[in-house]
Amino acid sequence: MEKKVRSTCPFCGVGCGIVLHTRDNRITWVDDDPANPSSRGMLCVKGRFGVPFVEHPDRLTTPLIRREGRLQPATWDEALNHVAEQLLRFRGAFGSFASAKATNEDAFVQQKFVRLVMGTNNIDHCTRLCHSPSVEAMLEQLGSGATSNSYTDYEDASCLVLVGCDPGSNHPVIASRMRSALDNRGTRLVIVNPRRIDLAERADVFLQPLPGTDVALFNGLARCILDEGLEDREFIQQRTEGFAAWRAAVEEHTVEEYAGAAGVDPEALRQAARLYARPPARRGLPASERPGSCLVWGMGITQHSHGTDNARSLINLALLAGQLGRPGCGISPLRGQNNVQGCGDAGCIPDSLPGYQPYTDDAAALFEETWGAGIPRKPGMKATDMVERIASGEIRAMYIVGENPLLSEPNLAHAASLFRQLEFLVVQDLFLHETAELAHVVLPACSFAEKDGTFTNSERRVQRIRPAIPRIGQSRPDWEIIADLARRMAPRVGIDPRQFAYGSAEEVFAELARLTPQLRGMSYERLDREGGIQWPCPTPDHPGTRFLYADRFPRGLGKFVPVRQSRAAAELPDNEFPLVLNTGRVLYHWHGGTITRRVAALVEQMHEVPLAIHPRDAAELGIAEGDAVVVRSRRGRMTASAVVTDAVRPGSVFVPFVKLQESAANFLTNNVYDEPSRIPEYKVCAVRVEKKRPRPREVTGATPTAWRGT
Amino acid sequence: MKVDGHETEAAGTLLDVILALGIDLPHLCKDDNLPPIGACRTCLVEADGRIVAACHTPAAAVQEVQTRSVRAIELRQAVLRLTARMHGREPDVSGGPRSGELWAAYAAHGLERPSYPSRPRSAVDLSSPFFEFHEEPCILCGRCVVACQQLQHIGAIGIAGTATSARVTAGAAVAFAESACTACGSCVAACPTHALRPKPLRATHRPGDARGEEG
Repeated sequence: MEKKVRSTCPFCGVGCGIVLHTRDNRITWVDDDPANPSSRGMLCVKGRFGVPFVEHPDRLTTPLIRREGRLQPATWDEALNHVAEQLLRFRGAFGSFASAKATNEDAFVQQKFVRLVMGTNNIDHCTRLCHSPSVEAMLEQLGSGATSNSYTDYEDASCLVLVGCDPGSNHPVIASRMRSALDNRGTRLVIVNPRRIDLAERADVFLQPLPGTDVALFNGLARCILDEGLEDREFIQQRTEGFAAWRAAVEEHTVEEYAGAAGVDPEALRQAARLYARPPARRGLPASERPGSCLVWGMGITQHSHGTDNARSLINLALLAGQLGRPGCGISPLRGQNNVQGCGDAGCIPDSLPGYQPYTDDAAALFEETWGAGIPRKPGMKATDMVERIASGEIRAMYIVGENPLLSEPNLAHAASLFRQLEFLVVQDLFLHETAELAHVVLPACSFAEKDGTFTNSERRVQRIRPAIPRIGQSRPDWEIIADLARRMAPRVGIDPRQFAYGSAEEVFAELARLTPQLRGMSYERLDREGGIQWPCPTPDHPGTRFLYADRFPRGLGKFVPVRQSRAAAELPDNEFPLVLNTGRVLYHWHGGTITRRVAALVEQMHEVPLAIHPRDAAELGIAEGDAVVVRSRRGRMTASAVVTDAVRPGSVFVPFVKLQESAANFLTNNVYDEPSRIPEYKVCAVRVEKKRPRPREVTGATPTAWRGT
Repeated sequence: MKVDGHETEAAGTLLDVILALGIDLPHLCKDDNLPPIGACRTCLVEADGRIVAACHTPAAAVQEVQTRSVRAIELRQAVLRLTARMHGREPDVSGGPRSGELWAAYAAHGLERPSYPSRPRSAVDLSSPFFEFHEEPCILCGRCVVACQQLQHIGAIGIAGTATSARVTAGAAVAFAESACTACGSCVAACPTHALRPKPLRATHRPGDARGEEG
């Protein structure tokens, strides 16, 4: 039987509409959805061809319990009763990772379980590893931690400034929408990236700074704007505070000094500043409207030991130029996972309740009244801290849903040694990945194609997913598993088990919407009828919000925060490790690769980790295109296949962090962290590269061990 | 304005108006979400006595449209027959949601499916892990070109040559894998004849693949 089911793509944060075509309960084709306002009938290779992972034979089909050192199949009752007994022993030394790939409903039930039953705010998710500095800076300076504008504003802008991001690889449909603006509207393009990304070919100005010099670069841009009087004085006066002190800090150095520190041409820096602050109007812009600029950034900004300072320097720029609160401008941190926005919105962060509501009396009161019990008021530990504090015994048990930290944490050997010390580890996922292999209990979860729910994309649009194929094996939706567990544990800790008696994802969403002002006007009935809605949507007749900050910022005035360039990175090159390693992503794999390594066509397209190296460095090291190379840092080693290209600066190499053939960049990366966000410095560490020596034949000539046998 | 005798609002193109009324009119080279190309001529209608392609005629300038006049139907039948002559043997595949539109239009116009021998153009490009291009059923409608250029703004596909030597090519007549193609699949979705078709979706099957241990 053939069926078509409208849903939302499970890969990056763009949130494209997809239509899953099935025949006899197998997915046969993934179609685009021209009616979806975020993707407008576009998809990328992962969304179109990458979905077969849901039917992979590796899918977990039953719960597993570790017995006599091995993970062995168990019933749901056995597994959940065991988890319930064990977790009760570890209240007070417990932490949980939620999944930015799961739904808002899954996230909401998980944070409710952690706060209510486990009595802690130790819950976090992968936003810690991608945009926590952006969120910290936006909350501090504006009062809200989300993208201000919409994708449609990329097409309405007169200038796009892309900083430390590669939409062509990581947000391909956003890249298509940007190329459409360049092609059809003559939009200007400024690119800031230490690597020459594909879109740089189209740029009016391309700045290729030295790694870790972002604050100098953006202070330099600000200095140009000030020197030439291009700032928006009216906006600064009416909408902001802290300008004078910030200005004094910026004026400590000249444009030439800033450009020198960042390793860019001062004239190019000035040109970029002019384009951002006062771009020439794009084609078709009504004369009455001021030409706007969108400031778009990715992890090139955040994943530094001064990631929050980097984000602050960008927000300062947006305030200075008054590029906020109108169509065709704004600030956009591009989100990496399908529901990383929603997972935070639903409360899976340690320092606030759903909807970013603080642990103050009046906000918490509504939750306590609804949930019929007290909730902890002390902010919990951040994800990276939970891992590091396994060593001190502050965390002894963990419950990890839909994440594989042993691919995504920095310094993997160190992270693995910590996870091995856990006294009790529960992993709930689709596959038996690196982290699950260390677990004491593994619970099989459903994929996005088997359940109802909602994802919230990078432009704050809440969109439905719907079941297209039957559940694989005994797998269950994440929210259902956690609610079942919570009902088993609740009476033992004085909680009414009816708090977790949800009959459907829709019931969960209704409670989330009731407790979260920004979602209060949404319901499944509305989402099914109207399609996705952008929050804030406070009432059932509210149409949703295309852009934020039209009249005021949630904190009142926008706040300038002085920032100064600190040491470029915690670890810089030296004689022993002379090159800088930069990490990122590629089009054909998704993040660590737990999912895309299970799609035949994607593995065929890219089956080994590439290392981009400048021709000058390659020549010095005797490395040619396609050579197998070994990369070492103080923390580990990996092998890769050399790509010799001048897209990277001399002295730098680039490796995507996908793990292929047991080789992954995160064996090398440095577990040092930014304050206050606690994001790791994935973007800079020191490495040594050499050509891999062929293994001597005679040594491996012996019969393989497995064949000796009996 | 009037369409087949029905009063209606003149908005967009004639094709928009006609389809909004629920009238079945072939439009092999026009995707719902893409700009008109005007290459296939299968949407010919009679507008104020002139024969026009509905997909790129603004409705505002027209008073009366007849989609079912004898002249319009006969011309469309002729165009469909010519189109079918470009189409080689029917491929034995399924998948691609917009495929089958040519034969649906054929049936709707009371035409018998022809049994033509395969035509001389028969290039096959299997270089992409994600999809294949088989030139034989290609009717040169140009939808793949528009999907690549005007929807995704990539520009990996073009039509090279003219008249009987015209053909769809990736890049400067290279294989898809060598071109600027990013395998977004919009061309595959747009193709009305299975000339561009997905490879079967499949997961990696050897357990070693998933662990990345294979050579």
